[in-house]
Amino acid sequence: MIVREPPAFFHRGPSPLARLTFFTIAAIALMIADHRFHALETVRLSLSVLAHPVQQVATLPGEAFGRAGEYFASQERLLRENQELKAKVLEQSAAAQEARLLKAEQAHLLGMTSGKSRYVENGVIAEVLYNARNPFMRKIVVDKGLTQSIAAGMPVIDGSGVVGQVTNVGTFSSEVTLVTEKDQSVPVMLVRNGLRAVAVGSGKDGSIDIPFMPVSADVQNGDMFVTSGIDGTYPPGLLVAEVTSVQKNAAYVFAKISAKPVAGVDNHRYVMVLPLPANAVSRPDTKVEEQPRKGARDRARGRRQ
Amino acid sequence: MRAADLTPLARDVMKLPASVGLIFFSLVVAFLLSILPWSGTWLLARPDFVLLVLIFWAAHEPRSIGQGVAFALGLLMDVSDSMLLGQHSLAYVIAIFGAQVLRVRILSFGLAEQTLHVLVITLVMSSMMLLLNLLLGADFPGIAYFISPVATALLWGPVNWVLYMPAVRRRRGESGS
Repeated sequence: MIVREPPAFFHRGPSPLARLTFFTIAAIALMIADHRFHALETVRLSLSVLAHPVQQVATLPGEAFGRAGEYFASQERLLRENQELKAKVLEQSAAAQEARLLKAEQAHLLGMTSGKSRYVENGVIAEVLYNARNPFMRKIVVDKGLTQSIAAGMPVIDGSGVVGQVTNVGTFSSEVTLVTEKDQSVPVMLVRNGLRAVAVGSGKDGSIDIPFMPVSADVQNGDMFVTSGIDGTYPPGLLVAEVTSVQKNAAYVFAKISAKPVAGVDNHRYVMVLPLPANAVSRPDTKVEEQPRKGARDRARGRRQ
Repeated sequence: MRAADLTPLARDVMKLPASVGLIFFSLVVAFLLSILPWSGTWLLARPDFVLLVLIFWAAHEPRSIGQGVAFALGLLMDVSDSMLLGQHSLAYVIAIFGAQVLRVRILSFGLAEQTLHVLVITLVMSSMMLLLNLLLGADFPGIAYFISPVATALLWGPVNWVLYMPAVRRRRGESGS
């Protein structure tokens, strides 16, 4: 193609090709800085503050639509919902009372052995603003950020189980990486027999893999995985996934186990952000400043060796 | 070709420049449309409004909108789409370079041919993004990923109409008075 440049009557600055080269190098440098060194959190934070008012405007139509829908919700549906909620409250109040007793007991026992509680206190309720607009990742954005002392690494749950983990905190909002995101891992334990494992997101919607389980492992369809709490991030006992298929092939070292997340990973409106345990200990084998989501993966790798 | 018609082929050559306000406003609206709560299949089909408006202004107002603006807006898109910083910047800069090189050619064609040119630019841009994300370890999001560039190109006509109108109207108003 012939590109005819006009005669240089006027000063026009560098040629398009020179600009392209410059900006390409700048963009690649940015990507490397962001990906390898996580050096641009401040830039990201300030830009997100800049975009915040526009973001607010953009969520308005959806919100108004939702409000209108709620306003015109049928009484029958509301009644039914109310009944369901009441039943749930009854069900859970019994469990809560039991939990209070257990907690007191635990505190007593821990007092005798001078141990520390593994259970975290209450979290922060956050509203889901929107799914991250990124076809390559599974993330949601919630409306609590630095101003509510949210920190990266905090676990996020909903009424039924683990939703994910806070991975990026803005001033007024934070990004939560869902448990189904590729390579997002949660240390888990099988409820039935206490078998420890790592649940790793498969990158597909509504599916979690349990890798590195030996073929001989006692795992069946319908088994429930809860957080084991050994990573110091997730409190123990939160439901994570239910096993949907187990393929055992003697030709492979590991069984192929698929599970589906228990929490409504794609369809909740409110979630709870739990604080990180105060007594989290840094593992001797890793550096303290390492990102929390990498921890579980490293451990899985370690066990395989 | 009409005989003895002395109307210049490229009728845009003599038009007045668009106001900075219009350019800024159109970019803000495009950004706003991009960050509506798209999700699921809609997200895959989301036209890249910012890119489209950038291409439009890069073609019609090459002195105001160039690769620098594309780079800055790309950064903003990366932050709001929670992607690696610089991805959109790189893709936008390459797309705008394409628009700058093809500028005279695009403007001398009719709307249908223009759309085809824009489709090439958007496809290159999307493939660029896809390649980058695959390199970073993401999974291929499916062939539906290419709905977005096609939708973007198809919107070239409407965007042309919307953005060209204020400029044309103003020129007519001024020459009439």
